Amino acid sequence: MLRRLVLLCALLLAPIFAGPLLAHQQKITITTVAVNPRTGMIEVVHQVPVHDAEHALTVQGVRLPDIVGSAKSREDFARYVTTRFLLEVDGAPVALSYVGSEIAGGSLMVYQEAPAPKGEARVRVNSQVLTDVWARQENRVNLGSGTRVTTFIFTAGDGAQAGVLTR
Amino acid sequence: MRFVFLLAALLFAIPAHAQGVQQTKGSFEDKFRQLDEVLPDANTYRNASGAPGHEYWQQKVDYKITATLDESKRRLTARATVRYTNNSPDSLPWLWMQLDQNIFKKDSMAELTDAFGGPGRRGPKVSLGSASEPTKLSMDELRRQQAMADNEYGYDISAVTTLAGAKLPHTIVGTLMRIDLPEPLAPGQTTEFAIEWAFNIVEEDAINARSGYEHFPDDPRKGGNDIFLLAQWFPRMVVYSDYEGWHNKEFLGRGEFTLEFGDYEVEMTVPDDHIVASTGVLQNPEAVLTAAQRQRLEQAKNAAAPMFIVTPAEAAAAEAGNPKGTKTWRFSATNVRDFAWASSRKFMWDAQGVKQPGAEYETVLAMSFWPKEGGDLWKKYSTAAVVHTLKVYSRFSFDYPYPTAQSVNGPVGGMEYPMITFNGPRTTLNKDGTRTYSLAEKMFLVGVVIHEIGHIYFPMTVNSDERQWTWMDEGLNSFLDSVAGYEWDPNMPWTRSLPRDMVSYMVSNQQEPIMTQSDSVTNLGANAYGKPSAAYHLLRDTIIGRERFDFALREYARRWKFKRPTPADFFRTIEEASGTDLDWFWRGWFYTTDHVDISLDSIYRLKVDTKDPDIDLPRRRAEREAEPEVVGIGLNKAQGLPIWVLENPGVRDFYDSNDEFTVTPKDRKGYTSFLEGLDPWERRVFDRAVKEDANYYVLNFSNKGGLVMPIILGLTFKDGSKEKLNIPAEIWRRNAREVAKLLVFPKGKELVEVVIDPDWETGDADIENNHYPRRIIPSRIEAFKDEESKSRVSRDLMGEAAGAEPDGRK
Repeated sequence: MLRRLVLLCALLLAPIFAGPLLAHQQKITITTVAVNPRTGMIEVVHQVPVHDAEHALTVQGVRLPDIVGSAKSREDFARYVTTRFLLEVDGAPVALSYVGSEIAGGSLMVYQEAPAPKGEARVRVNSQVLTDVWARQENRVNLGSGTRVTTFIFTAGDGAQAGVLTR
Repeated sequence: MRFVFLLAALLFAIPAHAQGVQQTKGSFEDKFRQLDEVLPDANTYRNASGAPGHEYWQQKVDYKITATLDESKRRLTARATVRYTNNSPDSLPWLWMQLDQNIFKKDSMAELTDAFGGPGRRGPKVSLGSASEPTKLSMDELRRQQAMADNEYGYDISAVTTLAGAKLPHTIVGTLMRIDLPEPLAPGQTTEFAIEWAFNIVEEDAINARSGYEHFPDDPRKGGNDIFLLAQWFPRMVVYSDYEGWHNKEFLGRGEFTLEFGDYEVEMTVPDDHIVASTGVLQNPEAVLTAAQRQRLEQAKNAAAPMFIVTPAEAAAAEAGNPKGTKTWRFSATNVRDFAWASSRKFMWDAQGVKQPGAEYETVLAMSFWPKEGGDLWKKYSTAAVVHTLKVYSRFSFDYPYPTAQSVNGPVGGMEYPMITFNGPRTTLNKDGTRTYSLAEKMFLVGVVIHEIGHIYFPMTVNSDERQWTWMDEGLNSFLDSVAGYEWDPNMPWTRSLPRDMVSYMVSNQQEPIMTQSDSVTNLGANAYGKPSAAYHLLRDTIIGRERFDFALREYARRWKFKRPTPADFFRTIEEASGTDLDWFWRGWFYTTDHVDISLDSIYRLKVDTKDPDIDLPRRRAEREAEPEVVGIGLNKAQGLPIWVLENPGVRDFYDSNDEFTVTPKDRKGYTSFLEGLDPWERRVFDRAVKEDANYYVLNFSNKGGLVMPIILGLTFKDGSKEKLNIPAEIWRRNAREVAKLLVFPKGKELVEVVIDPDWETGDADIENNHYPRRIIPSRIEAFKDEESKSRVSRDLMGEAAGAEPDGRK
């Protein structure tokens, strides 16, 4: 089903090498994974261009998605995003709870969280958001907050990458 | 000999920043070091203030092309005569042409160097990161591979000759071709030659070019219909410039185009039921349009709103019918750097005249071409957005410099050419046959039309080198499209082009400086669109100010209109025209990967001593009393321990009733002699300071992000009043890591709270250390949870409840 639909999405592909225009599909997401010392939670914030999200929903058979106008479309997509992001802490997979989603400046923000371990944690992450829709999707994950950030880049089929998450 | 070469190479390989001056002791770094030693030397072609020099020159290339579109074979066959004028001071033994279609050859450099894995790549993947997911190839990558395998793409060059027909020797090097001239072309001379070629048009959706055809299999016509977008469709001259000679940079796909201006006469022969949209002005409407259509086109020049030239009914009839033969459309374009066109029987066409009193083209035809799939979205917004763009952009640059401005719907998401742009957004077909679109799709149509039409100013007229520096046109254009977007409707979430939007990119450790050649950049969107656009918002609204920034931008546009600016010309012009030393800004924002994070670490409050013991000593006493009691004394009291002086009340002296702050005659005498010892001017200063009794604060800042920036302070006083203070970035010039600043406020104006960058103008990455006293800054998630609890009433809870909730939801 998905494969057929991927072929059908033909009309919207932006030019190949990142494309001349960003107002169209950008095919880049940025996710931030950081510990909030006040709540003791690992907070995961996904930032997805609204337009990409809508087209991805169309590809997956959702009729008339409207990410800005419809809470249903937004939640549909947010739910999808949460299934494409994997987080392992100290060797064990973490079930991130879904917090919610909202539109901010042309982007769809999707929020997730999970309790943080005490002290430093060895984490592995993999962001495959939209890589099942577009081969050229690129996802960036910023590990950490403020000025000390490590960035991982994922494309379709990449394995997880490991880093240290400090409190 | 080889050794000499190696030595020479080594000498020239020294990076610019290491030339001449080095800090060899301590760790001082001059973030304000002038850029002169990094920028190319000024010369007679480009002067030191960033303007074209008094001997500025550029080549001119005129083309006469006849082309035939074979719709069923999807093949274009063409012949051109090229007239090349050598305005350079150099004699040219050969000419280079760009064969952009050759990027689609199986053995092109772009194909062969398509690296497996890594950011910014394209290509199939067969491995998978998660054990829970099956291994698979992506479908669009497979489709591309198959299209490449099934078709022969790239140019077939069948002849390169003199006008008399003599063959000219030529050598093809990937996407470039050298044509050897019978004799060198002297300065000021012109040469002409002919070239014949053909190529198979790529399917845009499969190959992802910047042009190509799109097939509509479900159209009423048997076999369906196509939309053809033709760009990079003829061999174009490589640029020969004063700073690089021939620009022999292979087309790798990302770095776009570097082109010469010239005049074009183009004839396209297409099926006779096609409508052609093209760079330039239609020369033979009587041969290709009906009388009614010609009349509508005339009327449209003075129309107050877009009106149809080809109506939806005419387009519907055409797309259901068949051609009876061919027609030849003739267009001419003056002083353009490129030429593109589109052809389909599916197009409807509307137009509206835009008036520019006093301009070279007083009436510009804003026009759109779209198939039924564009629907009402295009009817309502495409041409309207073109008109809006001309009005806003002209204010920031110059009158729109061409007679037409067009938006064409087809398979390309968004791409710009002189006078014509290709834009992708469309409506969705519903089961009941209606067509609708989401708010985001509407926003993206308006956004993409503004952006692409904006490109006709930058870089189609201000002709920067896209192959080398994507940011030069995309950065300015992203900045201006957001300005135009906010003037269209300030409530739409237009863009991610403000400094606050770039924080997650600017802190990441996988990024490159903006001054990186386009093909090497990994995240081109953030690097060449967002980050420079954020820079211009910051310069305009915070660092330089609107009036002077707009003046400087207009001056850059004016100086380089129909000319070829380099980054140095841009940096120098903005600096000189705004009267602001911006070398520190260009250095930090464009040449490094530093980000902004300024911390307000502490504030000390100071008071002037009056030296008058009757004032100062009671103050000291009050300060002492305000100190907390020694913990041990308190514990002693609690324990009820006896105290000697209380136990022995008879033993008392002076010190029991007078503390150390008691004023003595000696103190007073000392004060008098202090006053007498002052020079008259010292006395005046001192008296005034004592009288004013101002509040003095020393604020200590540290720069954690590396980028130097103005320190913008939001000050809150005890009386509730607020002030904003902008300390220029130059405060960091002697120490870019830590600085302190003294602020003085009148008596009674006590500072209670200070925040750096209260309006988030600079893209400061860590907001928490901006506040003094520190305060808890809620994370995005915390803020969201707050908002959510407040706004639940307005949400579609019923709809949300009906959907399956994700796992783990609280």
